[in-house]
Amino acid sequence: MQVRDYLIRRLALLPLIMLGVSVIVFTLTRFTGSPVGIYATPNMTPDELAALEQRYLLDQPIPAQYAAWLGGLLRGDLGWSGVSVAPVTDVIGSRIAATLELALAAGIIAVLAGIALGTIAGVKRNKGPDHAARFFSILGASTPTFWFGLLLLVPFYLWLDWFPLGRSTPDIYSSLAHYTGMYSLDALLNGNLVAFGDALRHLVLPAVVLGFGAMAIIVRMMRSSMVEAMSEEYVDAARAKGLPERLVIKRHARRNALVPTTTVIGLSFGFLLQGSVAVELIFRWPGLGQWVTSAILAGDQATIMAYVLITAFIFMMVNLAVDIAYAYLDRRVVLGG
Amino acid sequence: MSSLSSVEMGSTKQSVASVKWARRREVAREVLQNPLTVIGLVIILLFLLMAIFAPLLTEANQPDPYQSPRDWANIDSPPGVAGHVLGTDSQGGDLLYGVIWGSRLSLQLSLTVVISTLVIGTIIGSLAAMRGGRLDNFLMRVVDVFLSIPELIFALAIAAVLGPSFRNIILALVAVFWVKYARIIRGEIIRVKQAEYVAAARVVGDSTWNIYRKDVLPNAVTPLIVQATLDMGNVVLIGATLSFIGLAQAGLTEWGALVSAGQSGLLAGHWWVSTFAGLAIVLWALAFNLVGDGLRDVLDPKTEGR
Repeated sequence: MQVRDYLIRRLALLPLIMLGVSVIVFTLTRFTGSPVGIYATPNMTPDELAALEQRYLLDQPIPAQYAAWLGGLLRGDLGWSGVSVAPVTDVIGSRIAATLELALAAGIIAVLAGIALGTIAGVKRNKGPDHAARFFSILGASTPTFWFGLLLLVPFYLWLDWFPLGRSTPDIYSSLAHYTGMYSLDALLNGNLVAFGDALRHLVLPAVVLGFGAMAIIVRMMRSSMVEAMSEEYVDAARAKGLPERLVIKRHARRNALVPTTTVIGLSFGFLLQGSVAVELIFRWPGLGQWVTSAILAGDQATIMAYVLITAFIFMMVNLAVDIAYAYLDRRVVLGG
Repeated sequence: MSSLSSVEMGSTKQSVASVKWARRREVAREVLQNPLTVIGLVIILLFLLMAIFAPLLTEANQPDPYQSPRDWANIDSPPGVAGHVLGTDSQGGDLLYGVIWGSRLSLQLSLTVVISTLVIGTIIGSLAAMRGGRLDNFLMRVVDVFLSIPELIFALAIAAVLGPSFRNIILALVAVFWVKYARIIRGEIIRVKQAEYVAAARVVGDSTWNIYRKDVLPNAVTPLIVQATLDMGNVVLIGATLSFIGLAQAGLTEWGALVSAGQSGLLAGHWWVSTFAGLAIVLWALAFNLVGDGLRDVLDPKTEGR
């Protein structure tokens, strides 16, 4: 199958899966009695509530309710977020950049550390560095992000006061023009190094905590691809040419091992998204994760459901992007089937 | 004549069984060669003993043993003070008690979720692979939909809708975790179905159910064993995250809830509550991850971890 055909097939499936996700989310909203709470704003009179019920066909059979709900969804009407006192769609817009910035920073840490550790482990297979890298990555997968975050807070925030909580220092932040909503990127685009330093100081700790857990998958994949690559003929050929071992590893083995490793980056992004819930809670990072935890405690269904929809959407898009990248990186892979 | 053939059949059966056992012994020996796996097994054994003998280690609190007894005279006691080996939290709850009785909750959570999702996933995955066609297509699209929502986020939404309680955390995790097993077993069965011995059984005229039961399933379960071992740890990690966020009932001796209870004290310098409770989670997850990783190396030659 051609890359193009495969991508068309993937893209055709995408709306279908998103529709499936919407059915799940809709089903969940029906667990909780009258779903009118999703749309209700504070201080509504009984008449206004009744009007809402009519508008979203809540007195009609379930399929009609689903159609009305889905119609609202497609128009960008996800209901009213009680915890943020604003329409859900507006809140997503104001918070999504914070979560993506954190996830991307953590992802960069996880990918760089994962590739480095995986390479060492694969080259020094069954020796000390391999065991150490392996144990370290398993430890990453076994450590609850919320606990690791709390542990780092004590020395670095409480005792040393190196890294502040939250996302920014307010006066510095408000002096910037915001292009992307990602604070560190905006600071660079403004050419404001003080603001960039401020952004990094806030970003480092939560990103390290989040990245540590996501790293495990990448180390494992990189290690086994490295082991495989090191036994390939092109590595022997490169050695026979008289290339120093360091360059054999860097130019030949590692470059080839990176291709299969890209496949797990999408998977680890799912880990970054779900890990961000606890990390944002602990580090008071004003993203989607912090929003959903406060919604859970307040019983704010509209927010919780919107959160599920938006994270599933982001997760699918990242996986699609990874698949496309992989398809172009390795034309030998058999697609589809 | 007929008696002779049944004797012959019996001896073949016996030798098949002994080959199976020899293979199992070989796998066990290989697994035990990895020191990290052995460490994992020892930690698991200690946790099991702790969970089983919890009432002997610390006297059960009445009426609910899964709520720590309160020592109001000693709140926020550091470890070792007033008979509290691991200290107390801000409510005077004994942390050692919480960690010990928490191991029972972790065992209950992981066993319930892993066993029931293993069964559900195997049934659905087997149906899809054995029937094929439209049913397979439909079930796999359902699996795709489930897999497109990150596990923790999916479980979090379900538990939030059901309301905060430990039982609902278990239900939410069951609803989410079966998917992986369904996908794995389907892939394995499709692979095994192409083997010659399955074709042979078909030629002999065995029923589909018999082929599935005797030839297909036993040869397809290996990756499930690895995944189930890893999930014994993962389930506790995700369950602890949910109760940390506040989805378990208040005061429960669940490890994630204990970390949460210690959170406010942490910044006041009372480091022990969150630290020890979290350490229990790490050790539990680490143990099952080490064993699962070791099993994968031995059972799945593709990863060639050795």
